[in-house]
Amino acid sequence: MRIHRLARPAVIAAAAVTLVAAACSNTSSTSSTSGGTTTGGFQGTALNGAGSTFAQPLYQLWSQSFLQKEPGAQINYQAIGSGGGIEQFTSQTVDFGATDVPLQSDEISNLPNQNYIEFPTALGAVVFAYNVSGVDSGLKLDGKTIADIFLGNITKWNDPAIASQNSGVNLPDEPIQTVHRSDESGTTAVWTGWLSAESPEWASKVGADKAVQWPGGTGASGNDGVAAGISQTEGGAGYLSYDFAKTAGLGIADIQASDGSYVAPSIESISKAGGGLNFPIQSDTTIINSTAKGAYPVASTTYVLIYTDQTDQAKAQTLVDFWTWALTDGQSQTEQINYSPLPSDFAKSALKELGKITVNGTPVSPTSSMG
Amino acid sequence: MSATISPIAVPPTISSHRRRKDRIFSIALWASVVIALIPLLLIVYRVVRLGVAAVSVSLFAHTALPASMPGGGMKQAFFGTAMIVGIAIVISVPLGVLTGIYLSEYGSGRIASVVRFTAEILLSIPSIVAGAFIWALVVVALGSFSGLAAGVALTVIMWPIMARATEEVLRLVPTELREGGLALGYPRWRVVLRIVLPTAGAGVFTAIMLAVARGLGETAPVLLTALGNDFVNTNPLKPTDAVPLRVYNYAQSAYPAWRALAWGGALMLLVGVLVLSVTARMLSIRQQRRMR
Amino acid sequence: MATVDAPPKAAPATPLSRRRRFGDRAFRWTTLVVSVGLVVMLAMLLWVLADGGWRAIREFGVHFVIGRDWNPVTGRETYGALPFIFGTVVTSLIAMIIAMPIGVGVALFLNESGSAWIKNPLAVLVDLLAAIPSVVYGLWGLFVLVPLFDRTVQPWMSASIGKVPVIGSLFQYKGPGGDIFTAGVILAIMILPIVTAVTREVVSVVSTETREAAMALGATRYETIRLGVLPTARPGIIGAGMLGLGRALGETIAVALVIGNSTNITASLFNPGYTIPAVIANEFREATSAGVHRSALLFLALLLVLIALGMATVSRLLVRRTTRLMGGDVAAQEEAATSTLGMA
Repeated sequence: MRIHRLARPAVIAAAAVTLVAAACSNTSSTSSTSGGTTTGGFQGTALNGAGSTFAQPLYQLWSQSFLQKEPGAQINYQAIGSGGGIEQFTSQTVDFGATDVPLQSDEISNLPNQNYIEFPTALGAVVFAYNVSGVDSGLKLDGKTIADIFLGNITKWNDPAIASQNSGVNLPDEPIQTVHRSDESGTTAVWTGWLSAESPEWASKVGADKAVQWPGGTGASGNDGVAAGISQTEGGAGYLSYDFAKTAGLGIADIQASDGSYVAPSIESISKAGGGLNFPIQSDTTIINSTAKGAYPVASTTYVLIYTDQTDQAKAQTLVDFWTWALTDGQSQTEQINYSPLPSDFAKSALKELGKITVNGTPVSPTSSMG
Repeated sequence: MSATISPIAVPPTISSHRRRKDRIFSIALWASVVIALIPLLLIVYRVVRLGVAAVSVSLFAHTALPASMPGGGMKQAFFGTAMIVGIAIVISVPLGVLTGIYLSEYGSGRIASVVRFTAEILLSIPSIVAGAFIWALVVVALGSFSGLAAGVALTVIMWPIMARATEEVLRLVPTELREGGLALGYPRWRVVLRIVLPTAGAGVFTAIMLAVARGLGETAPVLLTALGNDFVNTNPLKPTDAVPLRVYNYAQSAYPAWRALAWGGALMLLVGVLVLSVTARMLSIRQQRRMR
Repeated sequence: MATVDAPPKAAPATPLSRRRRFGDRAFRWTTLVVSVGLVVMLAMLLWVLADGGWRAIREFGVHFVIGRDWNPVTGRETYGALPFIFGTVVTSLIAMIIAMPIGVGVALFLNESGSAWIKNPLAVLVDLLAAIPSVVYGLWGLFVLVPLFDRTVQPWMSASIGKVPVIGSLFQYKGPGGDIFTAGVILAIMILPIVTAVTREVVSVVSTETREAAMALGATRYETIRLGVLPTARPGIIGAGMLGLGRALGETIAVALVIGNSTNITASLFNPGYTIPAVIANEFREATSAGVHRSALLFLALLLVLIALGMATVSRLLVRRTTRLMGGDVAAQEEAATSTLGMA
């Protein structure tokens, strides 16, 4: 029976498109041994990860760099927020999840099984950023003042609470437009955790979590959404990761530490805060308000979640290789994008966690070139 | 002494009051046309101006890169859209044409009325709902976001369009052609497939173009079903990128490089959609002239 | 003696006819099954959403639609969808208030305009508005309309209308950023083509006699339209409006980019807000299935589709009734609506 004459061209067109796509694709996304160029040996396979936008610049950079080591390891990281990362990890639609706060007890009990590892990958900071003409970076603020800004108690830039900490700075008589996260965010959890510690009013009225009822302000999606929101708004202010704030050219505040001094976020001050980490990671593991001298008060790690009982050899091998590389060689790339490397003993502990990954019972060790 | 003859433009019984109202009305109509066109011009102008700057070989030849690395593009998004829309076409065109054939050739009964009604109201379905539906069906079943799921989500939207448009086009084919075919002894199915459908051929093609123009630009269904991918993906069962999705994400980013790419992607979407729509319209005008 | 010829061999008992009948039946059956499949798909859609969403209703009941607190965090979940319902209704209302007069105006213009020279290109341009993808509207809205309104329109309106008692509270400008008003304006632009297309078809079927009769009585064009055409076409125009409204209610991406994503309900239209489609788009991928979050979003999706399909149904009835009443070509009118809706 003759098929309609338009059906044939349509099918040919669709087939042609698919063939062209296949022919021109960079590397195969399923095969684990695509044409090796430089190193013989394991080429890696495609992986999917999702979660924290805080970690996005870092993981995407690592993903590109790792292609030099294993050309087949196309590690697709989609930044949908820590909440999204945890959910997709729970539904097992991704190979690894990423979150800025450790799993909480309810989330752990929601997992299909308890055989997973959780390890930090780098240190970063959550900063208070702003876009006020005439006011450069380095505005000095303490936790209570910042909490009051987000509470709506302080509404103008030239409020006495701000001015008293910043004599000599020309603060305009402008409203403060706060921007917060509209998605479930680990960055929010870290930030509100710190605000709760600094302001009893915040702790009782709003509290700390990945999403809270903000007393006002605009919601934006992801760290990049917040950066965009602040930079497009005269008088805008919000909280976001150090890298995003710096890249967007926003003013960044110096925050008062527990000893009264004002600390600006920097690679050094973030590194100093790294002392608070301990394995195994608990739900309340945090490195904010570190007592180390010169440590930035709102420093944060970011975590990766991987199930230990893997079934796909190529995927498991790529996972182990990639994160091993990230925790060793990859650490040297953190500073160029405003993150800090993990303290070396924690990197070692994290590497030990990776050793728990097995394929059908057999542990997976990193390919030798990973170190 | 010369008599002046006043030209009678309007019957003298219309008072100046009524004439003025008529004038105001005409002005109001003109004004609404102008107001309606202003956004179109503004949008096209802005998208072209900012998009052209971003359209280069790099947009198509390079895949996505982190903002810290220069030279990124949207190659993987174009491939993804091609794959997703390709899947949607392969599914929705046969389904839509067959539905359209049923409605036009056998379309006088109760069942046909229900089908027709369904197709028509489905034209108004919010696309985010199609995404949620297919997420629950395909993504959950496969255990993964995928290009296939996105293609099926687009099918939910494109099938009714294809069905209704095909029905309209087939109805325009004169009954005489059908009767002639039947009189010659052809079975019904042959009459439809060999006579009616080919005659309406350009019209069906137009319907496909309209449906594709719609599917090309849809973000919401893809957002919930495809996850997105920074790499070119040829496996329909794996997460895939798409141009509208990439534009949506880049639009909310703070990096100028990514925002520029967003405008570039938007321009390409606009060009694709406009070319398809305008061609479809021209084809259908020609087709209608042929039929009537 | 004349012999009577045997009747021609078209009698049903021959093998050729049986094959033909089988072919015909198979063909008809195939198209029937596929077509019914479309209805089945709609049924499945409603079922899947209802099945996924009933948990939210079971846990929260009526509070789901009247509560104002929306907190998806595990362990502290509470879902009151009023902010989204409010935002959806208000943005759509703004869109209707702007798009209806202009859409009807354009439709009347296109209908009255004699010269094809103006009519055809204009019709094409209005249809192009329908073809622009939602994400392009959103991108433009975010980077052009929002800053423009923040710098000019909103402060001006706040200073003028904003001073009027009662109504003024709707127009208080608090600061830059996305807001309900801008979202409503974008929606207006997006639904304009539908309103225009359907109104145009409805108005065109008003029989020429009505028009000529009015003209013969000495009515101006304005009077003809206002007193002769519009009253008859009114149900159809309402139908056009409902179609546009349905579209406005369901629009996701453009709104999500310009509305500011805030779950606070405030009086001023210049404050950020949230709509049902926008919250579904933003929160869907992070919504846990263990808790009630996902169920809440699926229920919202169900609500949305029921309202949109309901509007489409009523609209269809109104438009068809007007068309048929005027002895117009229902098929032609539907074709126009289909192609515009298809692009939208």
